Amino acid sequence: MAYEITLITSMAISVLFALSLNFITGFCGQISLGHAAFMGVGAYTTAAMMKAGVPFIATIPVAAVLAGCLGVLVGIASLRVRHDFLAITTMGVVFLFVGIVRQQDFLGGEIGISGIQASSFGRIGFMAFCLLLAAAFAVFSLVIKRSWMGFVFDSIADNEDVSRVLGIDVSKYKLIAFVVGTAAAGVAGSLYAQQFRFVGPDSFGFVESVSVLAMVIVGGIGSVWGVAVAAAGLSVMPLMIQFVDDYKILVYSALLFSMMRWAPDGLAGIVNRSVKRIRRRS
Amino acid sequence: MLYLELLLQGIVQGSIYALIALGLTLVYGLLRILHVAHAALFTLGAYLGVIVTNATGSLVLATAVSMVVTGVVGMAVYKLAYEPLLGKPPFIALIASIAMFIASEEIFRIIFGPYGLSYTNPPLQGYYEIFGGFYLKYGEMLVIGLSIVMLSILGWLSGNTRLGVSWRATVTDPSMARAFGINIQNVRYLNFFIGSALAAAAGVLVALLNNLVEPTMGSVASYKALAIIVLGGLGSIRGTLVAAMAIGIIESFGTIYLGHILGRDALAFAFLILVLMVRPQGLLGAK
Amino acid sequence: MQPVLEVKNVTVRFGGVTAVDNASLTINRGDLIGFVGPNGAGKTTLMRVITGIVKPQEGEVLLEGRSLLGMSINQRIRAGLALAQQIVQPLRAMTLLENVALACGAAKTSNPLVAMRSFDRSAENQRAMELLTRVGLKDAAHSEPSKLPLGYLKRLEVARALALNPKLLLLDEPLAGLNQSEAQSLADLIKTLNADGLTILLIEHNLREVMRICPQVYVQELGRSLAFGPAKEIMARPDVIRAYLGGTVDA
Repeated sequence: MAYEITLITSMAISVLFALSLNFITGFCGQISLGHAAFMGVGAYTTAAMMKAGVPFIATIPVAAVLAGCLGVLVGIASLRVRHDFLAITTMGVVFLFVGIVRQQDFLGGEIGISGIQASSFGRIGFMAFCLLLAAAFAVFSLVIKRSWMGFVFDSIADNEDVSRVLGIDVSKYKLIAFVVGTAAAGVAGSLYAQQFRFVGPDSFGFVESVSVLAMVIVGGIGSVWGVAVAAAGLSVMPLMIQFVDDYKILVYSALLFSMMRWAPDGLAGIVNRSVKRIRRRS
Repeated sequence: MLYLELLLQGIVQGSIYALIALGLTLVYGLLRILHVAHAALFTLGAYLGVIVTNATGSLVLATAVSMVVTGVVGMAVYKLAYEPLLGKPPFIALIASIAMFIASEEIFRIIFGPYGLSYTNPPLQGYYEIFGGFYLKYGEMLVIGLSIVMLSILGWLSGNTRLGVSWRATVTDPSMARAFGINIQNVRYLNFFIGSALAAAAGVLVALLNNLVEPTMGSVASYKALAIIVLGGLGSIRGTLVAAMAIGIIESFGTIYLGHILGRDALAFAFLILVLMVRPQGLLGAK
Repeated sequence: MQPVLEVKNVTVRFGGVTAVDNASLTINRGDLIGFVGPNGAGKTTLMRVITGIVKPQEGEVLLEGRSLLGMSINQRIRAGLALAQQIVQPLRAMTLLENVALACGAAKTSNPLVAMRSFDRSAENQRAMELLTRVGLKDAAHSEPSKLPLGYLKRLEVARALALNPKLLLLDEPLAGLNQSEAQSLADLIKTLNADGLTILLIEHNLREVMRICPQVYVQELGRSLAFGPAKEIMARPDVIRAYLGGTVDA
């Protein structure tokens, strides 16, 4: 039972994390190769605060605010650089984050922070809390997607220049997407710190940033349920394919490649196409 | 004295970066793809270099074989992986490329083992005293020399041969080139061949300097080379060369003087972000 | 009466080249002005000064007496400009109706707090349908832009611009690329829109249609204002004829 609880908690955290990136990349069309940095800000915030005796719950809003503040900075950068330049700039952010954290003694430097206290939730309570937050953000995403704001995001993701000609303040909306997405990633980081009771500079690097982007794209960029399913699946996949043992990363990367090669619109795309096909037949 | 030594180290590193990043620029200029898996070809080149040297005893032969084979593999990567993805949103190719890169690391590990390979009789390990107490490894001299030679040959070919001119025309303006009857497909193959062969040469040289090849040796190249081509202005060949040298030298000095504040990678990216905030189109990029 | 748009002594230089040289133009409410000139006359550059893509070195651009310089393009749009671009740029992932409806909801868009709490699009959809009907695209309302011919997309540009309730509509070569009958019917539409009270500045190469529908023309040559006034009178002037015939052949 303990194993299942750990598994479900991890899945919930991954879902929240992936949906937070989906808000920026999927909704507003702004690519990020450095999203793990924001999760890292949240995780380190919770870890350092809990070490100082602050209760877990109280650290979450602080984690969200700090991650969101960094998000504003990167959002402002996104107003200057676009597309591939933005992708590499955000990649730079994650390397910079890791580089800075490594040199800070109060964040544990190279070793990180371990021995973080358990929350008062208990293990099942914490799992429920993670599920609740992931579900809440999923619902929030769905609501925004259906709202006029989601409509405006669609337009910006489609074509920034046209959006401006239609009178849309593109900068304002981009910043909103970055703040919401990065703050949510900060919350996911809080949960991560509590789940593993350990944070280190290697947990929030480029590889983690690419993994979460892979979840968003495999799910079908912009699709809330698709991304949630992909995040849940991919986060536990290394455990699920234990039987291939030495080849599990190879299998993972082969699947990822095949997905891009043959179904680049992700799970959501596959399902949409099958639904259409079935409808046409009937 | 220390300055000169650091500068030279920077130039050595910059030359290697230039050889790797040039291939990425060629691919980007033509296909607008961030070709992360390029770093896998660098690793492949290094492995081939060590294996052939150990089998035949000839570093020259090994370099040639490594460049040709890796060049052909590069063409296959284009044909099998990228060609079907042209016209899809650019991040699709990016993720596919990252997946290929991760897979390649695993394949190297599974085939050749996790600890890597070394030269049985490492060539060119001596030092040469340039002047009073100032030494340079033979290997390092080879890195600088070979980079200059290869880049000059490439520069000459692109300016003075029919193939080179049509190649440059295609990189500058593909639709115009097509109108002039240039076979774009061939130019793409050529791009992947040259870019991959240069990466292989860089791999052989790095293997020489470290006397070690290992499955993960491409990971730094995978992201650092991207930073370099973006810094140079994406698609600008001259920009890439300038950026490669700049990053090499900044890392070399930075790790000594700023190492206590930021690590090597973080320094390179801090520089990148600073430049992009001032010049969003990169050092030599067109607006 | 206050003019809708005043361009006063605008000069734009790119490096050593003067693209627009001390150009002035006044547009009053209800005007339909044809903006013509041979290739290289600086028409596009002056248009870009008005929309804010190009910054002039000298001069002033006023919309109803309010200076536009220093405003971003989206601020200018909200101040009352609307632009139908020469190169059609539909939002490709949306239907025509959605393209126009988005523009209809500019009031919602301007306040994100309102935008995130608005779910009902029926008012915008209804207005978008009216506009599409007006430009003759009713039947294509639910189609995706990628499946439609250029003539449709040119009209979509116009409908989207109308959705912004502009004080001044800027049309950048709306007839370019259309065949004779398509051009004629779109020109008729432009004339009707003007007759209904809309102020329009029409940049156009197609002189025949400009002469047919525009009461007034503004002629620019080599970046300078050459002539401005009643169309028939202006186009009969020897210097204007010389500018056209002596200029480039394809004008």
